[in-house]
Amino acid sequence: MSTVIRVDGLSKTYGAGSGAVHAVSEATFELAENRIYGLLGRNGAGKTTLMQLLTGQEFATRGTISVFGEQPVENARVLERVCFIKESQRYPDDFRVKHVLKSAPWFFANWDAAFADELVERFRVPANRRMKKLSRGQLSAVGVIVGLASRAPLTFFDEPYLGLDAVARQLFYDVLLADYAEHPRTVVLSTHLIDEVSNLLEHVLVIDDGRIIIDADADELRGSAVDVVGARSAVEAFTAGREVLHRASLGGLATATVAGLDDAGRAAAREAGLELAPVSLQQLVIRTTTLGDAEPENGEPA
Amino acid sequence: MDDSRPIFLQIAEQLEDDIVAGRLPEETQVPSTNELAAYLRINPATAGKGVNLLVDQGILYKKRGIGMFVADGARARLVAQRRDRFREQYLAPLLTEAERLGITPAQLAAMIEEAGR
Amino acid sequence: MTAVTASTPSSPFGRAWRTVRLLTTNPWTVIGWPLVILGAIFVMTWTIWWLIFASVDPADLTETADGIRFNGAVSYIFVYMLVISVQAVNLAFPLALGFGSTRRAFSLGSGLAFVLLSAAYAVVLTIGAWLEELTDGWGLHGAFFRTFYLATDAGWLAQWWIYFCWFVFFFFTGTIFAAMYVRWKALGLTAAFVALGVLVVATIAVLTLTATWHLFWEALAELGTIGIASAALVPAVLAAVVGYLVLRRATPRG
Repeated sequence: MSTVIRVDGLSKTYGAGSGAVHAVSEATFELAENRIYGLLGRNGAGKTTLMQLLTGQEFATRGTISVFGEQPVENARVLERVCFIKESQRYPDDFRVKHVLKSAPWFFANWDAAFADELVERFRVPANRRMKKLSRGQLSAVGVIVGLASRAPLTFFDEPYLGLDAVARQLFYDVLLADYAEHPRTVVLSTHLIDEVSNLLEHVLVIDDGRIIIDADADELRGSAVDVVGARSAVEAFTAGREVLHRASLGGLATATVAGLDDAGRAAAREAGLELAPVSLQQLVIRTTTLGDAEPENGEPA
Repeated sequence: MDDSRPIFLQIAEQLEDDIVAGRLPEETQVPSTNELAAYLRINPATAGKGVNLLVDQGILYKKRGIGMFVADGARARLVAQRRDRFREQYLAPLLTEAERLGITPAQLAAMIEEAGR
Repeated sequence: MTAVTASTPSSPFGRAWRTVRLLTTNPWTVIGWPLVILGAIFVMTWTIWWLIFASVDPADLTETADGIRFNGAVSYIFVYMLVISVQAVNLAFPLALGFGSTRRAFSLGSGLAFVLLSAAYAVVLTIGAWLEELTDGWGLHGAFFRTFYLATDAGWLAQWWIYFCWFVFFFFTGTIFAAMYVRWKALGLTAAFVALGVLVVATIAVLTLTATWHLFWEALAELGTIGIASAALVPAVLAAVVGYLVLRRATPRG
């Protein structure tokens, strides 16, 4: 499987001196062709900056980026194969939905107009309405339609579900899966709502405070951590010497999120009278990304 | 899909369940990877991994250009496997919980006897 | 299963041409509305002339005819084009980049679009000027298209050239301010205006302190409408080049 994106020691810093903001710090990773990736992280973690760097919209402070084997900045050979409609994408004032759909095919060689029309109908987007007058959900739907119908070999979806209702979100996930199955391509889904999309993802990158802190297959992560619940003393005894991602306690009861617990470890926990509870991908990310914060010794339960 | 285990294992188990329950008789075609993915709303590669796990175990086999089929004798093998695991998977937690509640093995046996009637 | 594959690479012109199309996606903005508004202003201007003539003493007619050669109604269309170019760079630029365009292709394409629109609108105004002469100032000796600061007696091609130069000037002046805004937001825009203000004030100061205003007016008279319009191409080209250099390192932000 060939590599689509290769990033090495990538940093983006805004400003200088003590006021400098490190939007992306020393990121190194690779994305393989024709997979669905999740770029997960909290708001302001650096997801959008990273995607802007990968699509040549932003300029790196340090490090190298290779997309389809070449650096992306001002590189038409690379950018013609990329679609990146930002969550905050702006459109010309005089544009209606139909103008977006009219102009997009000029830029995307694989554009499927019939598919786009079908999606406009299914997402119930008013084709004649001005882009300025669209609701948040309709705006998201237009971004989703362009992203899907462009069939760009490398497609970014930036928080694509904002403002969409449950039905429209489910529609997006279903259409994405069906179209991806028929036209495999590399998809990067950036989101902070992880639970909804976690089943769609093959591989996950978690970014926190500009750093890539998790780079793993989604299935590998699933079940990689487990909540151990029980009497505080028993939990403390059990977790001694184990990697704990998060702790919380309430009175005499304690919960510890333990990473990499194998079958023997699970058996030992049960033996010690402790309960085991699964940790969802979302919970795992939340607990990993808040690790740097103050440890809630007597804090609220998670 | 639950969060405690990799999805591909859950896919494999679901197909196994269907085979054991007779919903997928031997020599019938199983849904394609993409059909499974769309139906369960999961990544097609993950669905493929689950199916391939069963191919590796000889539960499913591939007919070139047609798709995946349930192998001859698959059900019998799965039933045997599950019997082996029954004690560890169901009995052990049952006994642990019973002990915690002060139910003796004899009382437990009586309860099972009664429920089975 | 058909994997998404790379299509044949496009040509540099093809990539620039996409921007031309993007900027004219909604034909009402660049063609429809300007013509409608031009027509409306023309009708209004003509009506006002007619009212003036109807109420003026026949003895003062010649003087009145001179007076209406100074109207500035047609200049609105130049300002409209300035607004279009500001919008193009400010809002079409982020969309073009989202669609996978390079900044270079966008800059070349928008430059091309502005030159083509300038040429086309110069033709429209030249036809207006021709009709104006044919009808002896729309029957009222008026000057709508051939106002004193735009008219020439050097033929229709020269007339077209004057209009063309001014359109180019307004389009590209718009792009540089928009580019400053896209790159540095309000700070950039303020800096651009301050720089322009300093330039204007400095020029006025020099002319005033050296008491050389008469030379300035003489130079303008010397240049004539063709010369002044042609000279406007110099800042236009400068604005285009600087605008591209500014945009080349700009990042669209939400």
